[in-house]
Amino acid sequence: MNTIECKALTKRYGKARGIEDLSFGIEKGEIFGYLGPNGSGKTTTIRCLMGLLAPTSGQCRILGAPVVPGKATYHARIGYLPGDFRIWPQYTAGQSLRLMAALGDGDNAKKRRNQLADRLDLNLDRRLGTLSKGNRQKVGVIYALQHRPDLLILDEPTIGLDPLISQVVLDLIREASESGATVMLSSHDLAEVAAVCRHAAILREGRLVELAPVSQIVRQGERRLKVWFVKGAQVPALPADRLAGVRVISQDSDTLHVAYQGTAQAVLKWIASFPVDRIATPQTSLQEAFMQYYEKEADR
Amino acid sequence: MNGTRSPFPFALLRFWVLRILPAWFFIGLMIFLFQINVCAMVHDDERIKVVLKLLDMLPAIIKTSLGGDMLQAGNTPALIAIGYQHPLVMLLYMLFAVGVPTTLLPAEIQKGTMELILSRRVTKTQAYICAGLITVAGMFALVLVMFLGTVLGTSIYDFGPALRLYPFFKSAVIGGLLASAVGGIALLAAASFQRNIAVWLTVAYLVLNYFLAVFTEWWTRIKWLAPVTIFHYVDGPRIFNESAWPIDDVSVLLGILIVSTVAGSVIWSRRDLQL
Repeated sequence: MNTIECKALTKRYGKARGIEDLSFGIEKGEIFGYLGPNGSGKTTTIRCLMGLLAPTSGQCRILGAPVVPGKATYHARIGYLPGDFRIWPQYTAGQSLRLMAALGDGDNAKKRRNQLADRLDLNLDRRLGTLSKGNRQKVGVIYALQHRPDLLILDEPTIGLDPLISQVVLDLIREASESGATVMLSSHDLAEVAAVCRHAAILREGRLVELAPVSQIVRQGERRLKVWFVKGAQVPALPADRLAGVRVISQDSDTLHVAYQGTAQAVLKWIASFPVDRIATPQTSLQEAFMQYYEKEADR
Repeated sequence: MNGTRSPFPFALLRFWVLRILPAWFFIGLMIFLFQINVCAMVHDDERIKVVLKLLDMLPAIIKTSLGGDMLQAGNTPALIAIGYQHPLVMLLYMLFAVGVPTTLLPAEIQKGTMELILSRRVTKTQAYICAGLITVAGMFALVLVMFLGTVLGTSIYDFGPALRLYPFFKSAVIGGLLASAVGGIALLAAASFQRNIAVWLTVAYLVLNYFLAVFTEWWTRIKWLAPVTIFHYVDGPRIFNESAWPIDDVSVLLGILIVSTVAGSVIWSRRDLQL
C-alpha cells in the first residue's frame, strides 16, 4: 500500500490554474522528489495532501486514510515543513517547538529536538524574531522532524541554508527514510533531489509531465557529444537539414559541442568525414535534463 | 493510535489564552476602576448635581446615551449604571470583542502560523472553537469584573441598605450576553474575511447599532426601528424595575450569539484559507 496516493487530483482557484488531474503514489520508505519551477503547483498539491485546501475534484489518501479537508487526518504522524516557514517571532525557538509538539502526539519530543538542534547548530533559547532566515529554516526542519513522523512532507527544506547545513538536512532525510519513514521532497533544487531521491515527478503549469526514476529522467534528456578536431582543421558547420534533432551547444576554433536525441549514429557518421582528434560524451546532469525537459515542453 | 479523531487541542487554547491575557487584563482593569470611580462620583451629592446640570446643558442625545430620563438625583442605581453604558466602557468591550477573534483567526492566517497549527493534530473546527471560547468566556469575565467593580465601589462608598446589587448582577449578565453576541458577530466576520475587512465590518456594525439605539431613544418618530438594534435588548429600566429576568431579550441575544457563531463555524470549516 502506498503511503501517499493521489487520484485525478485537481484544484482550481476560480478561473486561475492550480493543479490539474494529478495521479501518483509514493511507496512506504521511499524518498520521492517533487520537482517544478515556482508556480507550477507543488505547494498546492502539498496543501491538498495536508487537508489545508479542499480539492476541486479527485482524491488523495495518506497513510491509508482518505484526506478530509480541515480534519487533520493522521497529522500526528506527519512531519510537515511549509515552503514559507513563518512562526511567532516573540517566542524562542524552544517555546515554539514545544507548543507544536504538544499539538500532536509529540510531548516526548524533547530529546529528539535537542539532538536535532545540536546537529543543525541551532540555539533553541534565542527568540525567533532575532534569528536569520537560515536559522529560522533550521527551526522549520526541527519542527518537521522532532516527533519522529512516519511521513515527511517537506516543501523546499534547504532553502536559505548554507551548503554544510543543507548536507546535514539531506542526511537527516536519508536517516528518516532508512528508519522507515516516507518522504515527499518538493524542490526546485535538482541537485538535492538527485542526491536523495530514487523517483521523482516533474510538474509544469499544474500538470504532471513526468513520473519516473531519477536516473531515467536524466537519460531521457538530450545526450551530448564534444568533438576536438585536429589542430589547423576547420570546424565544419552543422548541416541542420541532414541532422534533425542535433543542435550546437558551443563552438570554437577546434572544438564542437553538440546535443542530440536518439542514437549517435547519424552524428558520428557525419563527423567521421572530418579530421577528428578525439571525442567525449559528457554526462547530462539532472539540472540539464530538467531544463531540457522544460524547453521541450515549452516548444510543444 | 486513532489518527482520524483529534483530541481537543488544550495546548492551543492555553497558548491563545496567554497571548490574549495582557490585553484582557488591561481592559478589565480599566473597566473595574471606572466602576469604582462612578460610585465615587455618584456618592457625592454635590458632584452628581453638577454632572446632571452639565448633562442638561449638553444636547439631549448625550443624556439619552447615558441612561436618559432615569438619570435623576436620588435615583442611585440608574446613576451607578452610567458606568455600564458609558461610551468608554463600550469602546473597551468593542476592542475586546473585535480584537480577539480577528487576532486569533485571520491574523494567524496572515502571519502564516495558522498553516503550522493546522498541520498538527488540530482540525479547523477545533481552532475555531478555541477562538470562540476565548472570545465568549473573555467577554463574560470582563462583565464579571465590571460587576465586581460595582460591588467594591458600593462597599467603599456607602449608599445605604436601600441599594440592591442584584439588579446590577442581572444587568452585568445581560450585558455579557450582549458583548458575547457582538463577539459572535466578530467571529463570523473573522471566519469569513481577511483581518482588516473583518475588523471594519464588525466596528461598522457596532457603531451603526449604537447610534441607531441612541437615536431611536431620542427621536420618537423612528422609535419603531429600535428592535433592529442589538442594544435594544439590554433594557436598563426593565432590568432594574422588574424582579424577573427579561427572558425574551435574553433569548434574542442568545439567538444572535448562537446563529452568528454557528454560521461562522460553517463558513470557516468550508472555506479555503488564504495561507
